[in-house]
Amino acid sequence: MSRDSNYDHHISIFSPQGRLYQMEYAFKAASSASGLTGIALRGKDTCVVVTQRKVPDRLVVPSSVSHVFNITSKIGCLATGMIADCHSAIQRARYEAADFEFKYGYSIPPAVLAKRMADIAQVNTQSASMRPLAVVMMIVGVDEEKGPQVLKVDPAGHFLPFKGTASGAKEQEATNFLEKRVESIPEYSFDETVRTAIVCLGSVLGSDFRGSEIEVAVVQGVQGKFQSLTEEEIEGHLNAIADEND
Amino acid sequence: MGDSAYSFSLTTFSRTGKLLQIEYALNAVANGRTALGIAAVDGVVIATDKKFASALVEGEDVSKVEAITDSSGFVYAGVGPDYRVLVRKARKSAQAYFREYRETKPVAQLVKSTASVMQEYTQSGGVRPFGVSLLVAGIDGDGVPRLFQVDPSGAYFGWKATAIGKNYVNAKNFLEKRFQDDMELEDAIHTALLTLREGFEGEMNGHNIEVGVVSKSDGKFRLLTPEQIQDYLDEAN
Repeated sequence: MSRDSNYDHHISIFSPQGRLYQMEYAFKAASSASGLTGIALRGKDTCVVVTQRKVPDRLVVPSSVSHVFNITSKIGCLATGMIADCHSAIQRARYEAADFEFKYGYSIPPAVLAKRMADIAQVNTQSASMRPLAVVMMIVGVDEEKGPQVLKVDPAGHFLPFKGTASGAKEQEATNFLEKRVESIPEYSFDETVRTAIVCLGSVLGSDFRGSEIEVAVVQGVQGKFQSLTEEEIEGHLNAIADEND
Repeated sequence: MGDSAYSFSLTTFSRTGKLLQIEYALNAVANGRTALGIAAVDGVVIATDKKFASALVEGEDVSKVEAITDSSGFVYAGVGPDYRVLVRKARKSAQAYFREYRETKPVAQLVKSTASVMQEYTQSGGVRPFGVSLLVAGIDGDGVPRLFQVDPSGAYFGWKATAIGKNYVNAKNFLEKRFQDDMELEDAIHTALLTLREGFEGEMNGHNIEVGVVSKSDGKFRLLTPEQIQDYLDEAN
């Protein structure tokens, strides 16, 4: 049965060229499912995640539409892709983080959590019984030894630490924007980190937005908590950006 | 492994007697980035490149070369996430061996158990083979340097020098010309770097290659630092 390479498009087996089509399709689903673009950036002592908030209907409660999640009080995650898969991945991440703290007596470092989530994602690419999740997770947190970190975990089970990265529909354009600033990003202050992320999103979407149309969440310093900025705080940053441009 | 819904093997024989999933897995390896190894008379060196898709990646602590015991290490070509599974299992099995025998697991034993795991995934229900070939480098208590290759099928071979991944044919020809049976570790490291350079795009430096070394003098597997790699590169110029 599985010698027919027709099945390589359906389950996680190799194609004749050695590719894993299910994994590639999961990537496509993760980038285009929600149509959103997400950006994560880390400065000198701050991590920030930014994404669009597209409320599909005026009757929907806006605060229930979110791709930004807390995993612990200190580690956050921007999950782009199919929202139901995102919820599943986040739930597992929360469990893994809590289990680590229970077993070892200290909070899980962001990179350890990212590796764990990546290893879990890898299982779905090798075992045929479950499909890969269509989620790209950008896990952010401030590590006690390494400082602020952004780690991106993809459906294939790859994970890498980044100074700044993007995911979703406009991933490439956003990454190009950030690459131009690669030398200065690690030294950014809190405000610079937040504003650069917002400006990056604005430039790839080609439009301005209001505080209610984007989600911004930050964690600053080893003692900091990962939390979302309020609409007023976001407006404050947007105004500051507008002033800088004048 | 061997999950609930799929109690049958996904890797089955074709009409001509081939196990196509394994052949396809080897193709996945051949698309991976080059890794190579050389066994000298007084040590073993394994090396690979370290290239990321973006300058935004913080690559200093990311590594393909991984120590498994104090005196052995792996490198791979192929699918990264699959490699991590094998590294984890190998480390765990080495630790279990130590717990039982109070001795470091010998390289050949490590190779056999890892190869056995890889073979299981070609036969068990509901899973695909690993898309990696491994190079295993190490020195046992007897002081003999050893280099092995393990393939997705679970077959393993001992080598004097070899390369896997993209461009492996050219790399192996290059190695065949330069390998000497009485080669010492320092020469081997230089030769490894020269071989890597053959298929390398751009300028090689201490930050875009990884080198793992185990020497007979102390029997410890370690990664060369970027500065040490740069020194070797400067000597070669």
